[in-house]
Amino acid sequence: MASLLTSLRGAGKTVLEIAENKGLDEAEAYLVSNKVLTIRLVNNAVFESKGVHDIGVGLRVIKGNMLGFSSTADLSKQSLKKLVDTAASTAKARKLPFKYSFPKPGKMPRVAGVYSKKLAELPSEKAVELAYDMVDASLAYNKKVVDNAGVLNIVSYETLVLNTNGVSAENRGTFFEASLSATAKSGKKVSEGSEATAGRSLKELKPKEIGEKAAEMAVSGLKSERLKEDTYTLILDYEPAQGVLGYISYLVSPMIARLYFPLFVDKLGKKVASPQITLIDDPLMPNGIGSAPVDDEGTQSKKQIIINEGVLKKFVYDSFYGAIDKKKTTGNAIRTSFAVGVSAFPGKNYNGEPIPFPRNPYFKPGKWKREEIIEDTKRGLLVRRFHYTRLTNPTRGDFTSVLRMGLYAVKNGEITVALKKSRLLDNLLNMLKNVDAVSNKLVVAGSWGDYAHTPVIRTKAHVTSID
Amino acid sequence: MEEDSALFAVEYASKLGAGYVDARVEDHYNELIIVANGKVQRGIINRKRGIGIRTLVNGAWGFQSTTDLTKKGIRQATETAFKVAKASSKHVPKPVKLAPAKAYKTSYKTKVKVDLEDVAFEDKLKQIIAWEKMLHTSKKIVRGLAEYTGIKIHKLFVNNEGAKIRFSNSLTWVSLKADSKKGDMTQFYERTVGHSGGHEIFQKNDMEKLSTEVGHKAETLLKAKAAKTEKDATVILDNDYAALLAHEIVGHPSEADRVLGREAAWAGTTWWAGKIGEKIGSDYFTVYDDPTIPSTLGYYRYDDEGVKAERKVLIKKGVLKGHMHSRETATIFGVKPNAGMRAITFEYIPLIRMSNTFFGEGDWKKEELIRETKHGYLISCMRHPSIDDKRYNWTISAQEAYEIKNGELTTHLRDIALTSTAPKFFKSINAITKRVEIVPLPGCGKGDPMQSLYVGNGGPYIRGVATVLGVK
Repeated sequence: MASLLTSLRGAGKTVLEIAENKGLDEAEAYLVSNKVLTIRLVNNAVFESKGVHDIGVGLRVIKGNMLGFSSTADLSKQSLKKLVDTAASTAKARKLPFKYSFPKPGKMPRVAGVYSKKLAELPSEKAVELAYDMVDASLAYNKKVVDNAGVLNIVSYETLVLNTNGVSAENRGTFFEASLSATAKSGKKVSEGSEATAGRSLKELKPKEIGEKAAEMAVSGLKSERLKEDTYTLILDYEPAQGVLGYISYLVSPMIARLYFPLFVDKLGKKVASPQITLIDDPLMPNGIGSAPVDDEGTQSKKQIIINEGVLKKFVYDSFYGAIDKKKTTGNAIRTSFAVGVSAFPGKNYNGEPIPFPRNPYFKPGKWKREEIIEDTKRGLLVRRFHYTRLTNPTRGDFTSVLRMGLYAVKNGEITVALKKSRLLDNLLNMLKNVDAVSNKLVVAGSWGDYAHTPVIRTKAHVTSID
Repeated sequence: MEEDSALFAVEYASKLGAGYVDARVEDHYNELIIVANGKVQRGIINRKRGIGIRTLVNGAWGFQSTTDLTKKGIRQATETAFKVAKASSKHVPKPVKLAPAKAYKTSYKTKVKVDLEDVAFEDKLKQIIAWEKMLHTSKKIVRGLAEYTGIKIHKLFVNNEGAKIRFSNSLTWVSLKADSKKGDMTQFYERTVGHSGGHEIFQKNDMEKLSTEVGHKAETLLKAKAAKTEKDATVILDNDYAALLAHEIVGHPSEADRVLGREAAWAGTTWWAGKIGEKIGSDYFTVYDDPTIPSTLGYYRYDDEGVKAERKVLIKKGVLKGHMHSRETATIFGVKPNAGMRAITFEYIPLIRMSNTFFGEGDWKKEELIRETKHGYLISCMRHPSIDDKRYNWTISAQEAYEIKNGELTTHLRDIALTSTAPKFFKSINAITKRVEIVPLPGCGKGDPMQSLYVGNGGPYIRGVATVLGVK
């Protein structure tokens, strides 16, 4: 392990030297080693096991008021020279109308529980067995479970940021993402269930629990009724609550807000949600799924409140968007490539410039127990899964999701019956403003590579039947 | 060098005991420029090369990729690809069997007139800045967004059956979007231009004119009337809207892995599983998937399993004829493999993907279609899809529409979507035009980890029946 970081550091120093020798004013190298092992489960069997080990460097350069970026996976000296030239060429027409400099060094905080040697060094044979344990548990839960599909991703990464202002920040971590979808059958009736979670260490991976939860949801939907179109009180369980949280994360990124989702653009200092909603970003949270001592440009992490009791207090910043808006970086640089045709694996990615984004966001837990929220609901729906969730009008906030499975009617505080597939069609701002209960416990939930700590929330939304 | 690397991996995996092995050595060049409201948000060039090694051991798949192209790096990756496949084989009750495929030895290139790297990045940046500026046709345009992508890929595919295929591909596209605002009303309009080829596409098309049109459209939509819900209305879909429909409710459910339930976890399944040979639509309903069409985003001659590409007939005159296959799914369905496998880079295992999926032609003219419609709607340009996991119920919004009264286009409509079920709509198709247009759809997502891929979709103008929704 040490030798890999040493070789990354060697390549990084070489890049900075080449850049300085070529007369560039500033340079920043972001070096990555990212390993992903994926076990895919299909039709109650292991379908494929696949791995990627990606090592490379992303380089930003500043010349005068010009900024450039390029990346490569080839760390030979010849390639690094080409990298510097390419980064300089991309800077030529990109004149910044403001002064910009890469971050300065700072004191590095410590974060516990983000690296697990056992997970990083887990033999692939063991990973296959753990993945399959999810299927075993689901099949054992109930004979009506006939099919399972899922995935186990195990990720370990090391990163290093070096810049000509003296930043030298190492970071390493591990995490897993595990999910299972189960199908249950009874006569002609078919029902689905799923469970998905993530964690930073091997001891958090509980395949039996995942398999049983997926199976339980599938079996529970075998007897279901058609939903009547209406506006309902909606209890969003962990996964759909994370779906909402995921969209809010986009909205508080000044870059994403400018480019794609401007819903919060003119709402700083204004009410965007009910007083029950406080959104915190805490990358220092021990064991946090998005925690790390530094962000992806080497700025030290800090805890901050983004939405306080419903009022939008701030957007999150990296150094670049901070410079645009004349604000300091909030330590929220993440690197992701959203270029099509470029790899975007879980873990760390050197193919993109930093973007400002919440790193370990969560809704502040409320006072309610999950069960109490259900007990307190006279007439509503319990939503355990979102599917195909979209902000269909990002200016106005039109929001839709298919409630594909795990949908139940709640009457007088009790879950009475499972409901057939339905569609939520409402407005995200209205849904946020209608939140009247938040549960007191955070659970890691999500789907398809997007996981966060989240409580259960209760709101209102319009739901139609589609089956 | 690359050939040595690939052959070494293939030979070494065979020696370890893999029944089948293939390797892809790839060199990628990728540029991205994003300009919003006059400011360059992104201007980057990525380069990446490496190898992906896929093994079949005791009927189970293993895969490993690496960017370390030293002999040691490839050796390690090959060993891992073998080891994970072997470990998986304990939990594979039905060993994978590959349908036979001819081992081609060939080399081909996408036709390029102006190589992407022959145009200075600086000049491309200036162009995108200029096009974004043209989106701002008046003060009502509050946001302009121009996104440019250019990709070059050199790929070598080899397998232990003797195949050796080289492919040099080049793709580029630009998306232009304008957001307009008046009072509390906000609207937007967007278009994408792209192809497989070089920078010449931006010389052939008058991009500044197109940008201005996009700006004007966004402004015009502010004056359009909000659509009202109407059950079972006659609708005429233009090429662009038909493209998204082809993509979402024909293309995705035609992927054989999806039909087999293998994408159930995230993406979903398919309502027409087991219905091959059944009539599921009207005689006017025909859909192809064809990677062999030059200049499209879905262009290729051989897929990432080395299978020669051909036009796939998915639906013919309303009858479900077949799916998109890998060599593995072809065995399961007892058909010939039809070159459906693609991976976005060497780092990913190939998946069954659309290439260019489009509705087949008819014999009507667009004008006739409108003229012979007493009351209906012309639905223009795709916006957002909301589809259930079986691709049965669908709702897709459009950028704009026109009400048709007595054969003439009348009221301009905004905030409109169509909804129906797949079979209901397929059966309702009653007229289609002759001219098929395939449009670029960059960014189709599938797989875990997700692979975002560029495809082409399209069709002629299509007339059918669907419920019109006014989207609040």
